Amino acid sequence: MIGSMKKSRTLGILAILLLAVAIAPSAQSYPTGISGAQDGGCSCHGQTPSSDVVASLEGLPSELEAGATYTLNITFTGGPSYDDNANPAALGGFHLWVSDGVLAPVDEMVQLNSDGSVTHTGTDKADTGMGNDQRNWTVEWTAPMDGGAKFVLHVNSVNGDQTNGGDMWGKLTADVGPQPAEQASGLTVLASAILLMVVITLSCVLWVFYRQDPGAFAWERFWPWFSDYITSTDHKKVGTLYMVNGLFFLGVGGLFALIFRVQLAVPGNDFLTQDEYNQFFTMHGTTMIFLAAMPMIAGFANWIVPLQIGAQDLALPRLNALAFWLNPAAALLLFSGIFSGQGADTGWTGYAPYIVSHTAHSGATLWVAGQILIVASSTISGINFMTTFCTMRAPGMGWMHMPLFSWSMLIATLMLFISIPAFGIGLIQVLLDRTIGTVFYEVAAGGDPLLWSHLFWYFGHPEVYVVVLPAFGVISEVLSTSARRTIFGYKSMVFALAGIGIVGFIVYGHHMFTSGMSPVLRFVTMLTTMLVAVPTGIKIFNWLQTMHGGSLVYRTHTLWALGFLVTFTLGGISGMYFPAVAMDLHLHETYFVVAHFHYVFVGGIVFGLYSGIYYWFPKATGRMMNEKIGILHFMTGFISYNLIFWPMHRLGIQGMPRRQHTYFITTDEYFALPPETADWNMLITVAAFMFFASNLILVYNMISSGLRGQKAPSDPWGGWSMEWLVSSPPPTPSHDPSNLPVLEFAEIHGDSEPGFFGRMIQWMMIPEDDDGGEEE
Amino acid sequence: MSYGGHDDHHHDHQHSHWGPHDWNHGHGGAPHNSWAPIMIAFGSSLFLLGFTKVFTQTWDDEADLWTYAIHSSQIGLLIAGLAIFSAGLTVFWRQDWSHSGSFEPKAIGTPFRTIDIRKVAIWMFLMSEMMVFSSLFSTYIRYRTGFDNCVTLFESSIEPGSTVVLEAGQQCWLPASYFIAEGGYHQEHANAALGFMPDTLIPGAINTFALIVSSYTIVLALKTAKDASLSDAERNSKVGKYLSITLFLATLFLTFKLIEWFVGFEIGHEGDWYYFHAPSLSADHFTIHESAYTYCHSWDHHGGADHHGACEPGQDAIFDIRMAASTFYVTTGTHGVHVFGGMVALAYMVLKAFRGGYTPQNAVSIEYFGLYWHFVDLVWVLVFPAFYLY
Repeated sequence: MIGSMKKSRTLGILAILLLAVAIAPSAQSYPTGISGAQDGGCSCHGQTPSSDVVASLEGLPSELEAGATYTLNITFTGGPSYDDNANPAALGGFHLWVSDGVLAPVDEMVQLNSDGSVTHTGTDKADTGMGNDQRNWTVEWTAPMDGGAKFVLHVNSVNGDQTNGGDMWGKLTADVGPQPAEQASGLTVLASAILLMVVITLSCVLWVFYRQDPGAFAWERFWPWFSDYITSTDHKKVGTLYMVNGLFFLGVGGLFALIFRVQLAVPGNDFLTQDEYNQFFTMHGTTMIFLAAMPMIAGFANWIVPLQIGAQDLALPRLNALAFWLNPAAALLLFSGIFSGQGADTGWTGYAPYIVSHTAHSGATLWVAGQILIVASSTISGINFMTTFCTMRAPGMGWMHMPLFSWSMLIATLMLFISIPAFGIGLIQVLLDRTIGTVFYEVAAGGDPLLWSHLFWYFGHPEVYVVVLPAFGVISEVLSTSARRTIFGYKSMVFALAGIGIVGFIVYGHHMFTSGMSPVLRFVTMLTTMLVAVPTGIKIFNWLQTMHGGSLVYRTHTLWALGFLVTFTLGGISGMYFPAVAMDLHLHETYFVVAHFHYVFVGGIVFGLYSGIYYWFPKATGRMMNEKIGILHFMTGFISYNLIFWPMHRLGIQGMPRRQHTYFITTDEYFALPPETADWNMLITVAAFMFFASNLILVYNMISSGLRGQKAPSDPWGGWSMEWLVSSPPPTPSHDPSNLPVLEFAEIHGDSEPGFFGRMIQWMMIPEDDDGGEEE
Repeated sequence: MSYGGHDDHHHDHQHSHWGPHDWNHGHGGAPHNSWAPIMIAFGSSLFLLGFTKVFTQTWDDEADLWTYAIHSSQIGLLIAGLAIFSAGLTVFWRQDWSHSGSFEPKAIGTPFRTIDIRKVAIWMFLMSEMMVFSSLFSTYIRYRTGFDNCVTLFESSIEPGSTVVLEAGQQCWLPASYFIAEGGYHQEHANAALGFMPDTLIPGAINTFALIVSSYTIVLALKTAKDASLSDAERNSKVGKYLSITLFLATLFLTFKLIEWFVGFEIGHEGDWYYFHAPSLSADHFTIHESAYTYCHSWDHHGGADHHGACEPGQDAIFDIRMAASTFYVTTGTHGVHVFGGMVALAYMVLKAFRGGYTPQNAVSIEYFGLYWHFVDLVWVLVFPAFYLY
C-alpha cells in the first residue's frame, strides 16, 4: 500500500502536470480559418505548385568550403506576371529555407524570418522599393562548419491585380556539399521492427515456458504445452491468446505511428513518401482498432465475463476459439499488402469510390478480405457472448444484479453484432467490385459512394461505443472497488449504458456532415449526437459520486482510472464540438479531429484497459503486479500521452490537415501554417517515442511480475463480484458446474421468476411437451 | 508461475485434439481442445488470398477500363485454403458426432430459463443474419429507387414516329424480372404442342416451392426423430429419408439457380421451335460487365418470330445495366451461399441419421438446423418478389 505521503505527492504532481498541459498551448483560432488557401483571407498563390513557374538558385558552389559565405541569386521565369505587360515591374515573391548554415539578406528586398528562412519584403505594390516588385533577389548564405545542406525554394508569380486568383507558384530543391548517408526507408524500418517484435514475442513465450519449471525443462514438453494453448477452447486460455495478440498489435500499431511521427517531426520531411505515408496511417488505424483494441477487449471479456457472472465457461467454447483465430488469420491478409509496398492506402474508413478505383493499391483488395474475416470474428464472438449473458448467469443473478463490466460487455456485443453485418456486406461488395467487377461503388455505372459511407458508419459509429463501453465497465469496477463502496447509481449506470447503446445507432450521420447529405438529416444527427453526452455525463457523474462517497485506495489501477476520467472527459468535451454542423465543417479533416478521437480512444479505451490489466492481473496469473513499476508506467504514460495529443488541438485549429504526408510552415503560401507548428510537431514526435517506451514498462512489468511477483490471494483488492470467489489463478472449469455460486438477495424469489417478457419468450420457445429441462 | 499449467485437465483418459468430443467434458467439466478453430481460420484466410489472386482485374490505361480475367493458374492457393477449411470443419463435426443429447446445457435465469443454450445461440445468429440481408436490401432499395427503369426511360424518351434520343451507355435499371418473369421476348416461338409458350417464370416458381417444401420436410424429420414410439431402425431410416429429401430439394434449388444463370432451360425442340425456352441470364447479356446492353423495345410489344437478329432502327437503345445485374447476382448469390452452407450441414446430418445418430434425446439438433433453414426460406420469400416478380 502507498502511504498517505506518497499519495498526496502523487496527486500533487498529477495536478501540476495537468495544469501545465492545460495552459501551455493556449488554443486560439486564427482569423484565416482552416485551410486558408481555399477560403481566402491569406495571400496564398494557388493550392499546388505550377510547372509553369520555374525557379532557379544560382551561386551554390560545387565544392563546399566550410564556414564560407556565398552569395545566392534567386530568379524565376513563367507565371502570369511574366506575360503581363500592364505590370512592367515583374511581380513576385520567394521563400527560401535551408537545413543548415545561416541565411542573411543583402538588401531591403529580402527579410529574415524567425525560423531562419528568408522571404521577400513588402506586402503590396505601393510599398516603395519592396521586394515583391522583383523577379530576382540576392541573399547571402554562410555554410555550416561541417556537412552539406538542403535548400527548399518557393517562388510565386502574381498577376498584379491585388487578388490571389490566377497567381502561380513553383518549387525548387537543391543539395549542396556532402549529404547524410542514404536514409533507411520507412518500410524497411517497419519490417525490421515487426520482425524484431515477432522474435521477441516468441522468445517471451519460450522464456515463460522455461520459467514455469526451470528444473524440469525439456524440449519434448514444449510442443504439448504450446499446442495446448493454440488448440484450447478454455475461455481463460483464449483470453490470454487475445491479450497477447492485442498487445502485440498495439505495439505494431505504435510502430506505424512512430514512423510517421518521424516523418511529421519537421516540415517538408521526406522520410516517408506520400505513398508510404498513406499506407502507414491506414494500417495504423486498422491495426489499432481491429487488431489491438478489439482483441484486448475480447481478451478481458473472455477472462472476466464467465468468472464474473458465475459461469463455468462461455456458452460456445469452440466458436470462441474460432473467433480468436480469425484475428491473426485476418492480420496476415491485412499486412500482406504492405510488405509488398502495395498496402491499402485508403484510410481505415476505406471510402468509396477511391477504394474501388484503379489508383488504390492492390493491397486494398487484401485489406478488404482481411476485414471480412474480422467481421466474421466479431459476429461469432458477439453471438457467443450474447448467448452467455442470456443463459449462463449464476442462479439468483437477475439482469439488474449483473456487475457493470458484464453489463457494458453485454451492450457492446449487442451493438457490435447488430451493426457489423452492414460493414461486412459493404466489404463483400467492395471485394467483388475489386475482383470480379461488380459495380456497387463504380461511379461510371451509377454507383453511389454515399452508400458505402452509410454502410460503413452505420457500423463505424456504434463500433466507437463497442470499444469504449467495456472501458466504462472496467472503470466502474475499479472505482467502486478502490473507493471501497458500491457504485453510485447502479441502475442509472445500466440505463446510461443502454441509452448509449440505443442512441449510438442514430448518430452516425455526423461523420458525413461534409459529404452532402440532406440538411434536415444533418440537423437531426446534430441533435441525437449531442444527446449521447447525456448518458455519458451521467456515468461521469456517478463515477465522481462513487469516489466522493467512498474512501479511495490508490493502487496503479486506481491511478489509471483517474487518468481515464480526466482524459476521457476532455475527449468528450472536444467531441461536443463536432455535432455542431458549422463547427464540424470548420474543424473537419484537421488535427483537432485526430486529437479528439485519440483522447477518446487512447485516453478512454487504452487507459481503461490498462486499469483493467493492473486490476485483474493477480486474478489471471495468481501473481501481484509490481506497484512501483506500475506507477512509473502510469506517470510516464500519462504525461507523454497528453504531450502527444493535447498540442494536436492547437495544430488542428491552426489548420494543419490530417492525412497529409507533410506540411510547410509559411505564412504566405500553401497551407498558412505558422512557424511554431514545427516546434509543436517535434514535441509530439518526441512525446510519441516516450509514450511507446512507457508501454514497454508495462510489458516488462507483466512478464516479470507474472514470473516473480508476490503470490496473490483470491481477492487482493476487496472486490465482491464473483470473479473474486475463485482462486487466483482460477481453476478449470472456472466455476464448478455442479456447484455454481448462488447470488442471494432479499428479492431472490422475485428475480428468479420470469417476468412478463420472460414468460412471453418461454411461451414462444418451449414446446408444450418439454418436461421443464430435467437432464435426461 | 502459472500461465496455465501442464496438467490443467484432470481427465482419466487421453483425449485427442482432433476428436471425437467427450461430452460433458469428462469429470471436471473442462472444455476440450480442438484443432478445428485454427484450421478453419487460416483456411479461410488462405481461401480469400487465393480468391483475390484468381480474380484479379487489371487496369487498362489506354482504354481507361478494367480488364477482367480469371487467372486459373493461381487456383492452387484457393483450393489449398478450401481444403484446410474443409478439414477443419471435418474435425469440428467429428467432435460433434458423439453428441447423443445426454449433455445439453440449459439456460439459467430469466428470460430463457430451461431453454437449451444452443437454441438461444441459433436465434442470436439469426439476428445477425437478419442484418446481413437488411444491408443487401438497403443496397437494393437505394439503387432500385435511384435508377430509372430502362423500359420507362425508353418509352418516355421517344415521340411517336420519331427516332430515339438516348445517349449510348446510359445507366438505367433493367430488372432481372424483365428477363425472367415477363419473359416476353423469350417467346420467339410458340410451344409446338401448346400453341403458346409457357411462362418463363416456371423454373423460379419451382425453386420457390422446392424451398418451401424443404422447410416442411425438415420439420417432418424433426417430428419423426422425436417420435419415441418408433423402433430405432424405423426411425433412423425415416429421419434419414426426410433429411435426404431436404438435401435433394436444396440441391434442386441451387442447380436450377445455376442453370438459370449460366445454361438456360431449353426443353426439346422441333427445328427452332422449343417446347420450353428460357435462355440463361448470361446468354441474355444480363451480366455484371454489360455496360452496353442492346435493348430492343420492339420485343416487348410484338414478341414474335420476326425479331431474331437486329432491332428495328429507332426501336433500340444501348444501356448500362451493370448495377441491376450486380445487385441481382450478389443478393441472390448471397442467398445461394446460405443454401449451399445448409446443404453441407445437411450432408453431415443425413450421414449421421442413417448411422442412427438421431434419437428423441438429441432430435433438437435437427430443430436448430431447421431454424436456420426456415430463415433461408424466409429470405427467399423476400428475394423472389423483389428480383423475380417486380
